[in-house]
Order: sequence, then structure tokens, then C-alpha cells
Amino acid sequence: MNLEYGGRERIDADRDTVWAFVNDPAKIAGCMPDVLESHVVDEHTFDAVVQVAVGPVRGKFKFHVVLVPQPGGEHMDLKISGGGFGSVVDLNAGADVSVQDGATVLDWKGVAAMRGPLAAVGGRVIDAQAKRVITTTFANVKTQLGATALDTA
Amino acid sequence: MSTTIEPESEKHALGQRMKRKEDPRFLQGRGRYLDDITLPGMLYLALVHSPYPHAKIVKIDKAAALAVDGVVAVLTGEDLAAHGLAWIPTFHGYDKQMVLCVGKALYQYQEVAGVIATSREAALDGAELVDVEYEPLDPVIDPFQAREDKTILRDDRENKTNHIYHWEVGKRAETDAALAAADVKINERVTFQRCHPAPLEPCGIVADMNGATGRLTLYLTSQAPHAHRTVVSLVTGIPEDKIHVVSPDIGGGFGNKVPVYPGYVVAAAASVVLGVPVKWVETRTENLTCTGFARDYHMDVEIGATKDGRVTALKVTTVADHGAFDTAADPTKYPAGLFGIVTGSYDFATAFTELDAYFTNKAPGGIAYRCSFRVTEASFAIERGMEMLARKLGLDPAELRLKNFVRKEQFPYPSPLGFVYDSGDYHTTLRKALDLIGYDDLRKEQAEKRARGELMGIGISTFTEAVGAGPSKHFDIMGIKMFDSAEIRVHPTGSAILRAGTKSQGQGHETTWAQIAAEELGLDPQNIIVEEGDTDTAPYGLGTYASRSTPTAGAAIAMASRKIRERARKIAAHLLEAAEDDVEWADYKFRVKGVPENAVTMQEVAFAAYTNPAPNTEPGLEATFYYDPPNLTFPYGAYVAVVDVDRETGFVKVRRFLAIDDCGTVINPMVVEGQIHGGLTEGFAIAFMQEIRYDESGNNLNTNFTEYLVPTSLETPRWETASTVTPSPHHPIGAKGVGESPNVGSPAAFVNAVMDALAPLGVTHLDMPLTREKVWRACREAATA
Repeated sequence: MNLEYGGRERIDADRDTVWAFVNDPAKIAGCMPDVLESHVVDEHTFDAVVQVAVGPVRGKFKFHVVLVPQPGGEHMDLKISGGGFGSVVDLNAGADVSVQDGATVLDWKGVAAMRGPLAAVGGRVIDAQAKRVITTTFANVKTQLGATALDTA
Repeated sequence: MSTTIEPESEKHALGQRMKRKEDPRFLQGRGRYLDDITLPGMLYLALVHSPYPHAKIVKIDKAAALAVDGVVAVLTGEDLAAHGLAWIPTFHGYDKQMVLCVGKALYQYQEVAGVIATSREAALDGAELVDVEYEPLDPVIDPFQAREDKTILRDDRENKTNHIYHWEVGKRAETDAALAAADVKINERVTFQRCHPAPLEPCGIVADMNGATGRLTLYLTSQAPHAHRTVVSLVTGIPEDKIHVVSPDIGGGFGNKVPVYPGYVVAAAASVVLGVPVKWVETRTENLTCTGFARDYHMDVEIGATKDGRVTALKVTTVADHGAFDTAADPTKYPAGLFGIVTGSYDFATAFTELDAYFTNKAPGGIAYRCSFRVTEASFAIERGMEMLARKLGLDPAELRLKNFVRKEQFPYPSPLGFVYDSGDYHTTLRKALDLIGYDDLRKEQAEKRARGELMGIGISTFTEAVGAGPSKHFDIMGIKMFDSAEIRVHPTGSAILRAGTKSQGQGHETTWAQIAAEELGLDPQNIIVEEGDTDTAPYGLGTYASRSTPTAGAAIAMASRKIRERARKIAAHLLEAAEDDVEWADYKFRVKGVPENAVTMQEVAFAAYTNPAPNTEPGLEATFYYDPPNLTFPYGAYVAVVDVDRETGFVKVRRFLAIDDCGTVINPMVVEGQIHGGLTEGFAIAFMQEIRYDESGNNLNTNFTEYLVPTSLETPRWETASTVTPSPHHPIGAKGVGESPNVGSPAAFVNAVMDALAPLGVTHLDMPLTREKVWRACREAATA
């Protein structure tokens, strides 16, 4: 099962501050909801144990997260892979970073591939959970950067 | 407080509505199922499954799992390969199957590793921590895509193709010519979806290798214990006398408990290596995702007919999806089972059918789910085809059937696809169904409702099965001929023990087998104990599936009883002081011809067999019979479904369902009715609820009972049943077998009824399951067209 997500986040902070934030695995890990523990592997990588509760699929999932900043500081790729209890999740996302009207804007999109029991739960249930994770993550980013969201797709 | 249920005492029981002898123990929770078995020092097995439908296995790291408290061992495919157990042959011998993944995973949930631990919980915890590194590959989910061979799934095979086999029977050129010349033709693809038997008790094993005796005892949820013993011996090289298979009470099989599954092999291997008992009981998800599925046939049905509705030719072209391995449980010479029964109850002058099977990245199977080897698919194809032909001709579907049935006087009837039907009276059975359901009144009601814009449908299915494999000249599994057996010992006081090579999974053999022997021997069926499932004591047999038990073992019981009767006649002559030729068996007694009051009972004879045997005769009173049937039997039926469809919601209400079955001589009408009720409920579920679906990424979307629905009493319609009796001329008591008829015949009746309801909207065919959403969409599209 493949699910596609995308959105646009406006953050009232300067571009360099945002870029430095999204390049910091410890800070990104701190913004993800339901993280039970995290471990920074290197400057672009961290592992996290996340409490997952999607329908009947409940338990601790392990994820390996790799931040892939592109030269020029205008684009960041993100790869998340992991799973648990027989389920596997692979998320590939990318964000364009730009400045508009004095704020920093992240235009992002991603594709999540799910396999195993999680995929059988059903798109609508997963969709609701995925949107909660996305919304919470960006809310935490903005809180930490003192920013305000304009819209989320 | 315990309650004792007193059994009824009934002699001469054939045809009697005797309550099932096994039910008191089931109703009181005293059955002994696989998971009730606990042995000293027993370990537990949990399996690790692939989340990917197609992937290379890069690395398996056992360390974290082995660190779990209680975990004793972790086994992988490579470990099994070291013992020559990485692959096992499939039942008919055309393919082989991985036990645990070797190099690649070929379907989602395929078994990758096994964790052995001191508790079930520790085994599951360990399984969660086995770290498997996969390299995902593109899956092939659609058999029509597999047919293109762009991605070869089975690189272990010599032939680099996804094509497994081609099978055909009949006269191609003659059929094509007849179809070309036909006045009227239908040509429609009919798919029988992938579904699953889903027995309430999943599969399991307790493997117990006794180091002191060198014997391996396998307590197994097995529909075919002797066949499994032989297979284990052939695969492992363990002498067959050192293997003891015990099949305890089974909570439903429906074909699902015929194949050998990886969990069995891993548990047995672990027990042999570790020298302690190992138990594996699969979860519901494992049952639905790994063990044998059924159907997944895509059938193009062509029927030719004259303008006045005489069928002239039938051609069915099928693409079969077998999943990752060809583990279909079919007899060796019949890779597509008995699909040749596809001409059904109709007298086609010519016919041809061909089938091509393909590998996909889906679970393997193709088992005979309450079905005699692909008979259900064939029945669905012809019954849907006849319904579509009736509509095209503008004929009533009952009239079309009556016009084309094989006539009573044509039996034994050689079908154009090679069977010889033993007996039948199709016209009488359908007419009885039409009378009982009030067919003419229902059609009038339907016309009135249609005038008001309401959707009401009447669906007919008049199927014929081919069951009871089989004649050993045609049927074998891995070379083992498909006969069956019975052994009867009459005790001195006139009670008896009867053992058979079959294995009940709810069919009621403890009752019906006793009834056959009681009828033949003049004994009380309550005093005949029936044992099955223990290979140390039961005579060799091929087991219970494909409605074969009554045609084979039921016949063996009658024949063994008659052997005993012949021996008993000598003893009776001795007791009656008469010449043996002057002693006759009549009214359940031995009596002197012409002097009926001079008689002895079988009980008296039995006592004499041990206390006063006739001179120069062997003491005791017992016999064994191995029965090789001369032909299959051909039970049939006429089913009528009546439905109302709510076009606003897609809800289909099954108002009435009448099943008239003709299974030849009826041993116990109550048991037959129970079989029919169960099978109709399964057919109802298949028609309206059930499908094992895969998404485009190869995810199995129906992995538990919240997604693979089993009807409860709330959804299940009320079943009306009746019968006609046309005995099989070649079976010793004229019986044919009935367990599968309702599952075989009912899906077409349901679908035909819904399509009849939707006919005013122009809908000609929808594939099962006819979910509310599917029916609603069809109504909506018709409304907006």
C-alpha cells in the first residue's frame, strides 16, 4: 500500500535557522510524536523507537531516519525505514526550502509504502494517523522555532 | 455441575435421524484438540514471516532473538538445508515448496525463520527480534501479468517461466466449429475469487521425537494422517514404522488441513534435533495468509445454442493463479482436479476446456475447499453460463435447464469431457424444487415488483459433482492410490470397534460409520465405537476431503461388515445345527430358510465366535476391507435462491433459499442436513462477503476475521432443505457423498438471483463477493448511464 502526502508549511524564522534545525537529527527526533527513545547515529542519522497504535496494530516500531541535505541548502530529502510486528514502513520525502514574504517556506511531499498487517488496516485509518503524525511534527517544529502555520495539506 | 446426555439406542440405523454420538463430548467441552495436548518438557515454535511479497533475503541475524530469556534455538532456511529439509515436494509432485525462505521470499507472510522457546510468549518475543535484512523486488500479483514472463518469479526452476502447466480435455476443433455455427452464443469471463476455508481451529502440530525408542510421534491437525506419515517418511528418510501420526479432534478442515505446511516441518525438525516435544499452533493471521487458499480461477465461458434453447457446445478457458508454489492438492494425473465436470448436468454434444496455471507473488494453495478438486469452480462457471444464456435467449432459466438436462434414461452417462455419471434424475429434482419454492408465484410477484421499480431476483443452480476419488486406476496422491479402508472387530458380547482410514473434522463419522456397520451387522450403533486418525491402529487410508469418505470408507465399512457376515454365517449354521447353505441373513438375523423362528442374532453369533466357535473355523469375528471404487459418484442438486435488492444501499436480502440434494442413499438425514446447512452458510459467505485480496504492492488485505468475514447467525439466511434419492448403482449401499454439495452449488444460485434482480438495470455479471458496495455501485452506474 502506497500513500502520498504533501503540504506547505510557513515558518516565521529565517531560512538559515530553519535549515540548521531540519539538519539536526536530535531536533527532528524531538519533534516526532510518540517517540519512546531516540539515538543519534551520526550528523544526519538517528534511530527511534516509536509507540504505534493503528487499529489492531499496536506496539513499538523501530525506525531508522536519514536526513539527506542537498547542496545549496534549498532541498532536503528524508528517508524513514523500519517497522515492527511484521509490518514494514518505508517513507521517502523531500522538502524545498525557500523564502517568501520574509518567512521560510517548506514545500514538501512524500510517499509512504506500507507492508504487512499495517497495510491491511485500511487506508482511511492509516491516513488519519499519518496526518496526526505530520501535523504534530510540524506543530512541534514551529513551537520550537516560535513559528506559526499557514496551511497544511 | 456436569450433565450426562444419554444416547439414543437405535438398531438397524441406516436412514435414521440418530443424534451424533460425538456431540456429547463436544457440547461439554471434552473434545481433545491439538492445542489441548501438552507434553512434559515441551517447547514452542513461533515463525517469522516476510513483510515483503518478493524480496531477496540479504542477511538473517539471530543474536537478539537468541538473547531472549527462554529462547532455545532459531532456525532458518539455511539450517534446514543442512538437513536436506529446505524444500519439500508438493502433493502431486509437480513442484516443490520452500519450508523456510532460501535466498528469496516469494509472498507476503512467507515463513522466514522459526524460533523455539520454552514458552509460546518467549517464542513470539524472539520471533519479533529476528533481524532480517531484505532487498525488496517488484512483485507480480496478477496472473495475467505473470503470463507475460517479464519477471520470472521462480529462478529455482529449470524452466524460466511463470507458466506452471497447461491442461486440456475435450475436442477443441469440434467445439470451436459448433460454437461458430451456433444460433446464439454467450462468452463471458467469470472469476471465482481467491477465498479461504478458514476453519475455526487453525492448523497445528506437536512433534515428539522419543530418543529412547527412536519414534517420532506427530500430533497433527491432519485430514489425511496416513498420507502425512508416508510423506514424512519419504521426505526425511525416517522409516515409516518409526513415525506415528495422531490426528486428534479437529475443529473444521474443509481442505485446509490436507497439505503439509512449513510449521509442521520446522516443529518436527526441531523435535528431532533437540530431542524434546515441540508445539506449533498457527495464529488466525497465519492461517489466512500462509495456509492453503482456494479457487482464484479466471474462466472464460462460451456456450453455443440453437434458437429454441438447445445447448450445442461448451468451451471454458481458464487462467489459474496458484501463488508462489504449486501446492494445489490435486490427484497426480489431474493438475486441474476434476474441472472436467464443467459440462454440469447438461447434455452437450461437444465440449472443450483448457487451463493454464501461473506463479504469482501470493500465498500458495489451490486446495479443495469443501470441494472435490476444482468442482466448485466448474459448477460456478456452467451455472453462471446457463443463466446468461437463458437471458440472452429470453427463456426462463428453469425452462432452459429442463430442456437441456441429461435425461434419466441416459445414465450411466458418458460426458463429452470423459466422466461417466453414475445415476441421476435431474428433471424430477428440479421440478420438486420449483414446486416447493412456489416458482410460478415467485415469478408473478417479481413481475409485480419490477412494475413498481423494485428489484427482486430468483436464482437457480442445478449442479452435478464428481466426488469420491477414487478409482485407483485414475487417482493417486504422490503415487499412493486413492482407495480407503475399514477394520471391524466384533466383541464377544456383540459390541464392536470400527476403525477407518478416513478422519472426521466435524462430518459425524463416529455416528454414520456406526450406522452403516449396524445396518449390515444387525448391531446397535450405540455399541459400535468408531476410531480414526491414529496411524498405529487405523488401517491405511487416504483421509477425508473431496466428499470421498462415504464413497470410499463408507463402502469399505459395508464390505468389511459383509465379510464378517459371511464368517458369522458359518458360526450361525453351527449354532442352528443347519447346513451353511440353509442359513440366510434376513431381518437382521441368521435364520434357517423356511423356518424363520429358528434364528440367532449377530450378538449370539459373536459370543459363540469366542466361546463356541464352529469346528475347523478360526475363532474371533473381525474383518478388514480395502475398497477401491470402480467409479466416482455424482451427487447433484437443485438450489433456488430468492433475493430482494435495495438499490439505494446495495443490501441484498436473501428471503428464501431452498436446497434439494440428491446424494443417493442417505445414511443419517440429520447429519446430511447439518452438512448442507454448514455448506450453504459457507457458500453464502463466499457469494457475499469473502475474498483474500492483495493490493498492487502484494499486501494481503484480509488477514484476520475483522477483514475476512465469517457470517454469524444474524447474517445467515434460513435454509430450507429437501431431498430426492437416486442411489449410486456401484456403491455397496448406494450412497454418494454430500459434504461439499452445498458449497459447490450455492454460490451460483446466490449470484444468479442477484443478477436476476439487477436484470432490469442491464447488469449481466458481477464477480463475487457481491458486497453491498459492489451492488450499490452497479445500481448507481446503471442509474447514471
